[in-house]
Amino acid sequence: MTVFFGVFLLTLLLIVAIAIVRADNLFVAVMLGGIFSLLMATIFFLLDAPDVALTEAAVGAGISTVLYLAALALTAEREKRHTVHQIKALVVVTTTALLVIFATFDNVQFGDPTAPVHVHVGPWYLENTQRYMDIPNVVTAILGSFRGYDTLGELFVVFTAGIGVLFLLGTRPKKDTEAAETLIPQQSETSEGLRNYLIPRLTGRLLVPIILLFGLYVQFHGEYSPGGGFQAGAIIAAGIILYALLEGETAALRVVPQWMLMALMAGGALLYGMVGVVGMLLGGQFLDYSVLADNPVTGQQLGILLIELGVGMTVSGVLLSIFHAFAARDKY
Amino acid sequence: MYYVVVIATFATMGLALVRALLGPSVYDRVLAVNMFGTKTVLVLIVIAFLYGRPDFLDLAMAYALINFVGVLAVLVFFRTRAQREPTATKSKD
Repeated sequence: MTVFFGVFLLTLLLIVAIAIVRADNLFVAVMLGGIFSLLMATIFFLLDAPDVALTEAAVGAGISTVLYLAALALTAEREKRHTVHQIKALVVVTTTALLVIFATFDNVQFGDPTAPVHVHVGPWYLENTQRYMDIPNVVTAILGSFRGYDTLGELFVVFTAGIGVLFLLGTRPKKDTEAAETLIPQQSETSEGLRNYLIPRLTGRLLVPIILLFGLYVQFHGEYSPGGGFQAGAIIAAGIILYALLEGETAALRVVPQWMLMALMAGGALLYGMVGVVGMLLGGQFLDYSVLADNPVTGQQLGILLIELGVGMTVSGVLLSIFHAFAARDKY
Repeated sequence: MYYVVVIATFATMGLALVRALLGPSVYDRVLAVNMFGTKTVLVLIVIAFLYGRPDFLDLAMAYALINFVGVLAVLVFFRTRAQREPTATKSKD
């Protein structure tokens, strides 16, 4: 029955993907992108991967839609028509697609017990997580400790991406001072958010603390339930973005100023790296948390908690900085 | 029993998807996406019980909370657009 559900959802996914490509109204494409992300998350959940589904919920359905709309507000609604037929591009895409389809014939069957994922390091992780760390969520154990180097790399990728986006968008164009002056009253009006709309404002104000609390729960409960730093960072960023949408961007910047965002971005990555260095200073290896406390198991748990905190800080800082970078520009 | 509920919810998801694909107006699509989000929450809840792991209800809660942010972003987007281009407020396509 699960297979039937999966096939049904994948069919819908295919239809939505084709519709996104075919849509020439960009707003429609953004809306369909939201549906794509929801479908994808349901499929992840169906495959018993709740951690990934949670990430997809927070990043794909929430933050991406907001960022796409913020970008769309700066540009035209309709896609430019390309009348030139790009034969070369078609050839490249077709060849790649055929190669990928050809490669799937070598893929293992779904649920095959002799698949590499079931006979390689996977069983070892499942058997030994309890012994080394004593936490129920093996995903967090693998992400935080066993494969801590990979997560460190991912975090620095997020950090670098944030810096890159800020380089592109963070600077305000200096020319056209007169044009900017005429835009200022309009700008202050738009940055008010939904201040004058009673119902969204009341409902939203109720929801902001709940979302933030839920984000903290996902952050610090990640060892026991689906979640962790990446998801929590995105959820907390979504909560503050909600505040920015309701009260205006300037009000949100008063609550979480720019310097705090920068400190979160850099501080999270620094915290992660420092945990590794402290482990070295205490006589262990880089990112070996066992030496952080007297008891190796407690040390592992402490290390995972700290690095997840670093991940959460950087992710929320980067996402909020990108949002503000988009919202601060009035016209591209 | 859970299977029946999942299939029924899938059917409504399909219907919402049809509305999102056909339009005709932009607002139809916004409502369709919103409804699709609600149905996703329902499907997640039912599947969590189907798998016998109700602790995964966390996820459904995350979806319910995050969906609201997306809908508000759409509202702000329409409002900003209406202010910038007073002539282009009417829905196209």
